[in-house]
Amino acid sequence: MVTLYPRTEAFPGLEDTGIDEFLVRFRRESTFLIYVGVLLGTFLFHWSTLLTVYIPLPAFMLPAGLREKHASRVLGSRIYLLRQAVFLVKLVAGMCWGADARVREKLGLPPQPADPGTWRQS
Amino acid sequence: MTHTSFREDAFTLDVDYIVVGSGAGGATAASALARGGAHVAVVEAGPWRDPEHYPHSMYGAMRDLFDDWGAGVAQGRALWPIVQSSCVGGTTVINCAICVRTPADIFDQWEREHGVAGGSFRDTMWKHQDALETELSAELPPPESLGRNSELALIGAKALGYESHVMTRYTKRCAGSGQCLQGCRSERKQSLNLQFIPEVLAKGGHVLSCAPVHRVLLEGRRAVGVTGRFRHPQTHKKGGTFTVRARKAVLVAASVTHTAPILERSGVKNPMLGLGFRAHPGTGVFGIYDDVVDMNKGATQGWASMAYRDDPGFKLETLSIPPEMLSSRLSGVGQELMRRIGEYRHIAMWVLAVRAESVGTVHNGLFDRSVVKYGFNEADMLRLRKGMGVIARTHFAAGAKKVVPGIFGLPYELTADQLSLIDEGPLDPRAYIAILSHLFGGCVMGKDPARSVCDESGRVHGYEGLLVADASVIPTNLGVNPQHTIMALARTFVDRLLEA
Repeated sequence: MVTLYPRTEAFPGLEDTGIDEFLVRFRRESTFLIYVGVLLGTFLFHWSTLLTVYIPLPAFMLPAGLREKHASRVLGSRIYLLRQAVFLVKLVAGMCWGADARVREKLGLPPQPADPGTWRQS
Repeated sequence: MTHTSFREDAFTLDVDYIVVGSGAGGATAASALARGGAHVAVVEAGPWRDPEHYPHSMYGAMRDLFDDWGAGVAQGRALWPIVQSSCVGGTTVINCAICVRTPADIFDQWEREHGVAGGSFRDTMWKHQDALETELSAELPPPESLGRNSELALIGAKALGYESHVMTRYTKRCAGSGQCLQGCRSERKQSLNLQFIPEVLAKGGHVLSCAPVHRVLLEGRRAVGVTGRFRHPQTHKKGGTFTVRARKAVLVAASVTHTAPILERSGVKNPMLGLGFRAHPGTGVFGIYDDVVDMNKGATQGWASMAYRDDPGFKLETLSIPPEMLSSRLSGVGQELMRRIGEYRHIAMWVLAVRAESVGTVHNGLFDRSVVKYGFNEADMLRLRKGMGVIARTHFAAGAKKVVPGIFGLPYELTADQLSLIDEGPLDPRAYIAILSHLFGGCVMGKDPARSVCDESGRVHGYEGLLVADASVIPTNLGVNPQHTIMALARTFVDRLLEA
């Protein structure tokens, strides 16, 4: 996920936006199907390098530059289900990254308070 | 005034009428029944979230408001997400409250092709729509709340010489906070959790939330109640069983993706059940401008055009999305993606909704999950592609320096002299990032019981005390936003039910 949203001069990277805590929360709060979908997308991302950069190593073992090249190619893959599965990972990672106050500030948006997660109980 | 939320123990209740679902159809039907003096129970699968409970982020919106985390997809050649809500108020909580009257040609088509909606039906519907527009404060957004995204669209359409307009929506002085998709915390949007559902309670009705109906209880061919198990909105764990019994009738308005599956699980026998699923598939084209657009400042949706509704068949609208959605919608990864997101403040997003002729199915699947199967035929792909071309040209007419079509296989961005690439773009739906937003069918109404599930009063053929009162009954596409039509249909059905 960090490969998808790296730190740049303009923006904080995903690793700066609390992705670890986000994923713990995501695992707890999401539905089984969504979580399995993200796991599957992550698995396919790591084990499809042979199709993209022609190297028989999982993506997490690739150097950063090559891993980004792989990420770009896998999201542009002609295999629809492969790119859709990785797209789901990108979507979920984007939920964390795009909601970060520093990212929003750079985009001219105010910070968001925490989602209350409450409902009417009586 | 009684509201029952999630509970661990069993719950039973007896009322005159049960309304399953609290969205546009359900809430409207329930309020109409309550106004008629009936004792009504609304049984809603999702929780009741008031504006102070609404999420701020899209993550929160998917978790707290979207049906099944927005994970529902139509299965076809492409997997296109189905966007709808699961909470008290239904999709009216997360939509943009767009108010469009049912076009006259739709009634003609219903009468011609399905033998319904003849005689005074159209006048009755429009009379209800008159009243709904007053009750829900249908109005144009104040000019200061329209937003640059919509202003540019008006400029572009005018330059190209086609009809377009500022949308009428059920809002009271829209604040332009760009938060429609997360629920309007400023309470300007007149979603039905704020309007008709409180009225049902005030008139002595009962609302069960966190209560997904498993099935309608039938005694022979008569509907006598509903049952299911409460579901915790946070943990998704099941709670106690609820059983609500109806002395007079059960109205199912659980949305197109749930109404037909509930009737199937209930044992309703009708060969047309689950057939006739239709939608308005939609996608968008981004325009990138030299000046700041700030699409998230202003109405989430403020502009529309019906110029192409009849031929070739699509509606155009503006839509603003927050950065957490845009980041995945823009193609690319890594440094390249970050550079593209850096243009966020200069991006305007305009979308089209295709008046598609494709037809699919919605059925009850494994583990009681709704299964939607929907292919997109070539004629509809041509409409989609044509619409994207019109949007792109409108962007350039409004001053965009480039457009981002988001079509697989095409360059990330196009200049004005490259628009033929969109015109000749692929016809494979898998090349497009699209969603299904407006859904119809599954329990279509018609005169002939062999070709329909309901009659033109929403009554399920061959059953007593069982009605459908949501978009499931709509037998054709509308080519316009459906909320106004759904609400007017619900009122029409309830009028007839109470008269009977």
